[in-house]
Amino acid sequence: MYATLILAPLLFALTVLISPLRLRNILSIVFVLFLSAVSIGMNLTLHTPVEASLHQLFHPLFILLDTLVLLYFLWQGVVKNSSLVMLLALLQIVLFGIVLSLSAALDSNDILIESTSTVMYLLINIVGGSIIVFALHYIESEAFGRFKKNAFIAILFFFLSVMNFIVSTNNIEIFFLLFELTTLCSYLLIAYRGEGVSVENSLRALWMNQLGGVAILAALIFSILHYDTVHFDILIANIEEVYLLPIVLLAIAAFVKGASIPFDKWLLGAMVAPTPVSAILHSATMVKIAPYLMLKLAPAMNGFVSLSITLLGTFVFFSAALLALGKDYFKEILGYSTIALLGLMMALAALGTPEAIRACLVLLIFHAISKGLLFLQAGILEKNFHLKYVNDINGLINHSPLVVFFITVGFASLTLPPFGAFIGKFMAIESIAAEIAGSPLYLFALIFLALGSVFLTLLYFKVLTKLFAKDMDAEAGNASPHSPTAYAEISKYYTFPSFLLLFLLVAGIYISFEKELLDSMEIIVPLLLIGLVPLLFATLLFKKAHRVKEYNCGEKEQIKLNMYYFHMPRRIKTYIALTATAALVILMAGVVL
Amino acid sequence: MIEVMLILFAPLIGGLMYGFERVLRARMQNRKGPPLLQPFYDMYKLLDKQAFIINPYHTVLGIMHFLTLWTVVAFMIFGQNLLYIIFLHLLSVIFIILAGFSVNSVYSHVGANRELLSALAYEPILIIVAVGFFMMHGSFDISVIRQNSASIVPLFLLFLAFLLLIPLKLKKSPFDAAEAHQEIVGGVEIEFSGVYFEFIYIAKWLEYVFVYLLLVLFAGNNAVLGTVLFLGVFLLVNLVDNATARIKMKHVIQIVLGIALTLGLLNLAGLSYV
Amino acid sequence: MFRKYRKKSPWILHYNAGSCNGCDIEILAALAPKYDLERFGVINTGNPKQSDIFLVTGPVTFRSRERLVELYTQMPEPKVVIALGSCTCTGGVFRDMYNVEDGIDRYIPVDVYVPGCAASPELLIDGVVKALEILEEKTKAIEKPFRLFKEASSENGIINRRHSALKVGEKDEED
Repeated sequence: MYATLILAPLLFALTVLISPLRLRNILSIVFVLFLSAVSIGMNLTLHTPVEASLHQLFHPLFILLDTLVLLYFLWQGVVKNSSLVMLLALLQIVLFGIVLSLSAALDSNDILIESTSTVMYLLINIVGGSIIVFALHYIESEAFGRFKKNAFIAILFFFLSVMNFIVSTNNIEIFFLLFELTTLCSYLLIAYRGEGVSVENSLRALWMNQLGGVAILAALIFSILHYDTVHFDILIANIEEVYLLPIVLLAIAAFVKGASIPFDKWLLGAMVAPTPVSAILHSATMVKIAPYLMLKLAPAMNGFVSLSITLLGTFVFFSAALLALGKDYFKEILGYSTIALLGLMMALAALGTPEAIRACLVLLIFHAISKGLLFLQAGILEKNFHLKYVNDINGLINHSPLVVFFITVGFASLTLPPFGAFIGKFMAIESIAAEIAGSPLYLFALIFLALGSVFLTLLYFKVLTKLFAKDMDAEAGNASPHSPTAYAEISKYYTFPSFLLLFLLVAGIYISFEKELLDSMEIIVPLLLIGLVPLLFATLLFKKAHRVKEYNCGEKEQIKLNMYYFHMPRRIKTYIALTATAALVILMAGVVL
Repeated sequence: MIEVMLILFAPLIGGLMYGFERVLRARMQNRKGPPLLQPFYDMYKLLDKQAFIINPYHTVLGIMHFLTLWTVVAFMIFGQNLLYIIFLHLLSVIFIILAGFSVNSVYSHVGANRELLSALAYEPILIIVAVGFFMMHGSFDISVIRQNSASIVPLFLLFLAFLLLIPLKLKKSPFDAAEAHQEIVGGVEIEFSGVYFEFIYIAKWLEYVFVYLLLVLFAGNNAVLGTVLFLGVFLLVNLVDNATARIKMKHVIQIVLGIALTLGLLNLAGLSYV
Repeated sequence: MFRKYRKKSPWILHYNAGSCNGCDIEILAALAPKYDLERFGVINTGNPKQSDIFLVTGPVTFRSRERLVELYTQMPEPKVVIALGSCTCTGGVFRDMYNVEDGIDRYIPVDVYVPGCAASPELLIDGVVKALEILEEKTKAIEKPFRLFKEASSENGIINRRHSALKVGEKDEED
C-alpha cells in the first residue's frame, strides 16, 4: 500500500502535466480523494510495523538521482551567482563521494512503516491534498502559460510523493536523497514567479536547507565509521551513550528543516514570497519532517542531548512567539507561529516520555490542520480582497463572514479548549511538569512554554480583534483601495478545502473524545460555550435595544483606531539568534567531548 | 448536590464579598460606607435601565465572558483539572478582550490592551502555581489537592507570588491600571450599559470567587487554615489597595513577571531538589 | 418591580461645563470621608452609559454645549439632571458674557436646581436626595423635550439672551 502512496502521485504528476484545464481539475480532485482514502486506509489497517526491502536495482538509481540533484544545485549556484549555494553544493558532492566510497556491513530493510509514519501519511495526503485543490483555482489567476500552470500542479503531486516516501524510509542514504528532493521542491516553488524577491528567497531557502544536507551526510559518515550501518533502526538499536554524534547531526538537520531559530529565515522567506500555495505547503506539511525525524531519533538520545534539545525547542517556541508580536504581515505572523510550534513539537519529541510523544503527535496533526486552514484564508484574503497586512483587515466580518469564521476557528483551534492543538499544549505542560522532579533545568523549559503559549494567544487574538473591529473607512465612504469594499464571492475551489479542513478539526474533537485525551465534560462544556456565540448572534437580535455611539468624552468626531504592535529592537533578534546558535554549539561540543 | 447549589449561588457569594469589601474599604478610610447589600441594589437597578448597545458582537462577547467565567468557577467547585481551568479562564478573558476591541472606542481599546498585557503577566504565574501543586500532590486535579494536607509551607514562595497576582486579577491598587477608573473610565467595561453591563458587573463578582477559591487551595483539606488564609489575604489586599497609588502598566508587568516568576522558579527548583 | 432600588444606587456622571472648579471641589468634598456620599450607594462613574444622575457644574461655555447634549443623550433612561451651582442654573456671575450660554436649561431638561457659589456639600446632598425622589417617578420611556427659551436675539453682533425666556404656555415663534 505504501508503494501506492509513493508511486501514484508520480503518475498523477505526469497525467496532470499533459491534460487540459477542465480534465486536470476533475482528475486532480479525484486523485486527492484517492490518496486521502488510501492514507486513511493505511492508518486504520496498520497494526504492526511493515518492513520491506527495495530491489537492488533501485540503489544505483537513487545514487544517480542524488548526483543529479546536487549537480543541479551547483549549476543553480553558478547561474544565479550565489557562492554560498555553490560552496555547499560542492561540499555535499565531496561528502557524498566519501559516503559512497565507504560501505556498511550491518544491513536492514529500506522501508519501515510505523504508526508515526501512518499519521504522517494522513497529514501529507489530506492536508497537502486540500492545498492542491486550492491551488487548482489559484494558479489560473496567474499570468503564465498553460504548461507552466500544469507544471505547478505537477510539482505539488511530485512533492506529495517525495513526502510519502520520506516518512516510509529506514535508510539514511535514501532519506538524504529525499531530503534534498524536498529542498529542490521548495526551491522551485518559492522561485516559481521568477521575480527578484522570489529568487532571492529561494536561494536563501536553498543554502539553508543544504546545511541540513551537509549535516545528514556527516551523520552518515560517522554512522558508517562507528556503527557500520546506514539504517535508522540499527543505528538506534546499537546506540552507545558515549558516541551520539550521528544522532545530534541528524537532529541539527531536523532543526534546519523545521526552520528553528537560527535557521528561521528561509521559512519566513517562503512566506513572503508571493505564492500563497508554497507558503501553505511549507508550513503545513513540509516542515513536519522535523518533528517526525526527532520522534524517530528520540529513543537514542541520552539525558544531556534530550535536555538540551528540549530547552532549545522551548526557547524557540518562546522567542518566535515574541518576535511575531512585532509583525503585521499576516503570513509572516503565521510563519513565526509555525516556527514556534515546531520548536515545541521537537522539544516534546526529544523529551521522549510516552506522554510527551503523544502530545507531540497530537500537536503535529492539529497544527497542520489549523495552519492549513489559516493559510488557505490568507490566500483567499490575498486573491479576493487584496489584503496582506493585518491592519487592513478591519471589519472583515461585514464583507465576508465565512472567511472570518474560518480564521476565527483556525486561531481558536490553536489556543482554546477543546481543540486538538490546545490538548497538545496542555499535555506538553503536563509532561514537562512531570520531568522537573528529575532535573530542575526543565524549569526553564516550563517557563519558556508558559510564556510562549501566552504570547501566542496574545498574538492570535491581536489579529482576531481586527476582524470584528468597526470599519471606519467604509462607513465614511472613503475606503482605501486596499480595504474590502463589498461582500465578495469566493470560489468553490477555495471554500471546499477550507470546509474539508474544518471537518477534520471537528473529527479531531470527536477522536480526542474517543481516546479520552480530556474528560468528556472538559470537551463538551467549552464546545457548548463556543457554539453559543453564533447561537446568541442568531437569537438575540437586539431589536428593543437602542443603538448609540461609543463614548468619546462627548466629542462627535469619529476616530479611526489601528492595531497595536510591540516594538522589538533589532538587538533582541540578534540576542535570540546568538543564544540559539550558542545552544547548538554547546550541544555539539557536549556530544563530541 | 451541595456543589450544584454552590455553583448556582456563586455570583451571590461573590456579590456579598464585593459588598463587604466596599464596607471594609470605607471603614479603612474612616467612612461609613454603603450597606452590605449595595452590589445587589446596583444589580436590581441595572435591570430597570434602558439598554444601549453599540453593536451585537460587542454585547454577545460580553455575555460570553460572564458565562465562561461562571463555567470556570463551576469547574473549580467540581474539583476538575487545575491547568485546564486556568486555560478556560484565559478563554473568558479573551472574550472580554475581543469585546473591548470590537467597538471603535479609545477607552475600550486602551482597556482591552491593558487587559491583554495583564493577562500576559499573570497567566505564566498561574501555570507555574499549578505546576507547583502538581509537584506537591502528583496531580493537577483540584479534588486531589483538596484532599491532601495543606501545602502552604513548601509552596510558600509560590504563595507569595500568588499574593502579587490577586490585586492584578481583581484590579486593585497598585495594579489597577487595566481598569484605571479615573483615566480610562473602567477600560473594557465602558461601552456596556443597562442589562448588558449587568453581565460584566456580575462577572467581576465571579472573579472574586475564582481568585479566592484558588487561594484556599494552598490550605488543602485544612478548613481552619483556609478560613484564616482567606480572611487574612482579604484584609491585606484591601489594606494595600487603600495604601498604594496606581502604577504604570509597564511597571506592573515588570514587577509581577520579575518578582513572581523568580519566586515561583525558586520554589519549584527547591521542590525538585527535595 | 425594581423601582425602589433606583433610589438605593444612584450612579453619578459629573460634567464640568466650564466651571471655575469651585463646585467640583465641593463634589469631591461630598464624596470624601466627612460627608461620605457613598453611604447612599453613590458612585462617581464618569461614564454616561452606566449613570443615573447627570451632575453638571459650570455656566455652559459656547464650546462645551455640544458635548453637554451628546453626554445627555448617551445616558440611558431613567435619568435625572442636577444643575449644581448658580452658574449652572442661570449663568451666575458669567451671565450675558459672549462666550457663555447662561445655564444648562437652554440645552437639556433640568430636574433639580442647586444654587450656591459654590454650592456646599450639604446642599449637594439635599439636591441628590431630591433628584432621587424624581428618579423614582420616571419611566424608561425617552423624555419628551420642550423648550424653555426662544432663540437668543442679536443686535449689532451682540447676542442678548436676557429676554428670551418663554412664559408659561407661550410657544416659540420658530416652532
